[in-house]
Amino acid sequence: MTSSGSYNLPVKFLTNPAGKKLLLRTVLFFAVLIWCAGIVYNSVLPESAYTVLSSVFVKKIYGAVCHQRIAKTFKFNGHYFFVCARCTGIYFGALVVSIISLISLQKLPKKMMLLYISTVPMLIDVISTTAGIYNYSKLIALITGIFFGSAVFAYILAVLENNFVDKSV
Amino acid sequence: MNRNQIFPPLVCGFGAAVLTTVPGVKNFACCLIVPMAAVISINLDHRINKSAFPIQAGKAVFFGIMTGLFAAFFSTGFDVLMTYLTRTNDFVEALPQTEAFIAQYKLNELLDQTMAIFRQMSKDIIAYGFSAFYLFAMLISNIFVNVIFGIFGGLVGMSIFNKRTTHTQN
Repeated sequence: MTSSGSYNLPVKFLTNPAGKKLLLRTVLFFAVLIWCAGIVYNSVLPESAYTVLSSVFVKKIYGAVCHQRIAKTFKFNGHYFFVCARCTGIYFGALVVSIISLISLQKLPKKMMLLYISTVPMLIDVISTTAGIYNYSKLIALITGIFFGSAVFAYILAVLENNFVDKSV
Repeated sequence: MNRNQIFPPLVCGFGAAVLTTVPGVKNFACCLIVPMAAVISINLDHRINKSAFPIQAGKAVFFGIMTGLFAAFFSTGFDVLMTYLTRTNDFVEALPQTEAFIAQYKLNELLDQTMAIFRQMSKDIIAYGFSAFYLFAMLISNIFVNVIFGIFGGLVGMSIFNKRTTHTQN
């Protein structure tokens, strides 16, 4: 470091709108990544005493936001995910959009209609399976969840950027 | 902050906790219950307190946090109550299976101590229907998860109601 100006570079970057946007998107990406990793780590990592013991509590944590019914949950490597197929779709949909939002730093559209439209397939699936029109399919639940999760994440990110990044300029 | 501002998150948090405890309801909207409660609490605040529009982001986050906190307290309370009445829960039921599974590994000191804590928790629950450590762990994890989901719900609610007001005014 040769001058005090070089120390100020990160500060300057993080106080301008583009820097704030990048910081927000990075933080959200890591938050969603950690959340998604938690869903599958028990199935993906090699089985050890650590994974077995920690899964007892991690399952409880995810239990706060998911019914965790075995019949509606994906199984991989002999272990069930900690959330159902639909929730898996929602969170991984959010992860995909968080990655895209990091690659392309374009302003996301804050379209309420997009949110409503993304809810329709999920609602149709929930109502149809409950009414017995067709049997529950993990794949359909996953796909409709991905649609919904990606739209919700894009919407929340747009709301956050509108209120905490753009308004602070 | 007045008492009336706490009332909507309290009612919605309680409602969310009840719904997360009812298994049938949880099947439909598992992860949407707390965010939806935060959305409703913002709407309720507007109706009760005649709050001004547009809703500020800070207020939406506050309502989300409060709804999440109340949902966490009540759902932990319900969990503890159910555990006390039945002297068992899914943790106690899963522990023997975990112990059998873990028997194949040579445990280091850390894991050994963790397992000892788990066993003690299970013993306490079976004997007294209550374990302070279990309560603490559940409360912390519920607060962590519900507050985050509540904040998201609060922000979405803010956006929905602000947009509606803009449309109405136009």
